[in-house]
Amino acid sequence: MEEDDFALMQGVQSERPGAFEALVERYQRRLYRLAFGYLRHHEDALDAVQETLVKIYLARRRYSPRAHPFTWASRILANQCIDQIRRRRVRGEEPLDQAREERPGHDAVLLVSPEKTPALQERRELGRLLKQAIFTLPPRQREIFMLRHFGEMRLEEIASARGCALGTVKSSLHRAAAALRDYLARADPAFRDRAPEEETP
Amino acid sequence: MSASRPPRACRSARERMPLRHYGALGPSEAEALQSHLESCRACGREWEEVRRVLAAVDPATVFPGEAGVDWRKFTRMTVERALAAGRETRPKGRDALRRFFSSWPAVFAAPARVAALCAAVVVAALVLGSWLRPGGTRTARVPASGGEAGIVPLTPLLESAHVMEDRLARRGAARYLSDSRALLVNLVGATARCRRTEGRYDIALEKEKSRQLLRRKNLYEGDLLALEDQRLATLVRQLESVLMQVAALDDCTPARPIHDLREEIERRQILLRIDLVTRELRGRADVV
Repeated sequence: MEEDDFALMQGVQSERPGAFEALVERYQRRLYRLAFGYLRHHEDALDAVQETLVKIYLARRRYSPRAHPFTWASRILANQCIDQIRRRRVRGEEPLDQAREERPGHDAVLLVSPEKTPALQERRELGRLLKQAIFTLPPRQREIFMLRHFGEMRLEEIASARGCALGTVKSSLHRAAAALRDYLARADPAFRDRAPEEETP
Repeated sequence: MSASRPPRACRSARERMPLRHYGALGPSEAEALQSHLESCRACGREWEEVRRVLAAVDPATVFPGEAGVDWRKFTRMTVERALAAGRETRPKGRDALRRFFSSWPAVFAAPARVAALCAAVVVAALVLGSWLRPGGTRTARVPASGGEAGIVPLTPLLESAHVMEDRLARRGAARYLSDSRALLVNLVGATARCRRTEGRYDIALEKEKSRQLLRRKNLYEGDLLALEDQRLATLVRQLESVLMQVAALDDCTPARPIHDLREEIERRQILLRIDLVTRELRGRADVV
């Protein structure tokens, strides 16, 4: 049976062999999705995730089990992303645009080349549309939506991580879902036919 | 004409739909919503829409880059970096104290621990005082009011901790500089030709190394600044600029930017200055 996050974090704190590696494996993808939500750039998001995980390791003894480990990690990640955005501004780097965002696979060290098939093209087009829809949400609403949808955090944890009421989290999710539905209906009337049919658990 | 406002029961049901999708409803709420959906056609349709949209927003579609990442390699690199950073970071005094305390059995309550620590400090001070008094080796003794036993100040102990911190920071800086030097030497002298395009150079490895060095620099910036070494600070700043330029190049880059970088490295005598500063850092780290 898979060890729960609290026990795993305790293992990291007591430097149990393999515990940190297991934590990295468990969190890296979820953190990547959240980082992408802040930075909107593939490589920057990977950098932010790696920085965050290194910081988690260095600060492991300061972690207190009052908060869920992922909630704690998501706070460190948010600060890391804000720092990166600030540094970007100071250095006058180009603003984030669709072109950069749509350039995954640039880093030859970490990436394997994706196949180019019609199905993949269609999937990419759908992905682009969904991404646009997500990034039209107001920042706070988007953050809450990303934490729940991609970070798979519980509503109470989101409220704790973002310092807001549980009711705010619930209403933000409702508004975000309604806004996404409206955006997709406007931007792509055929979306209904392309979206998946299967029942979700 | 705009649609009329839905009844209260429908509004309440619609607010709960995303929560149902995420499994965040309690059993009674879920049951109430289900019975409403069965009795209200409009809300039934609405639920289908919400469910469909939220199901479509799946990570694989929204983040196509994620599937292309070699996550095993990423894990390995992250763990290696974290362990290296952990080795290089000197333990902070507060953490060491906390570890010391946390290693005590739980039967000692926090106040008992504090009292025990105070007692240990007083005993240590008295022992040191009695040890130092006969020989008269320490003149910095503070006379106690009433002319009785003096207490040896803790300043020398703190000073030696400071010296140790300084030595560790110097060693870390020297290591950072020598790693950067190795990268620059490779860039100046032995860049591999790109296999894909004629007349270009393959600098994928140098790029990755530059990124790692930049991350290391960000992580230890405080330590480097704490050394208050103007020459080191200027060198690190210029080095950072070169590393950022390397990190921004294409994997398979034309000769021109490499040539410009080489000129900059030579013009600023970066390699020579790294040698001098590293030697000085290592010398001082061994002396103190």
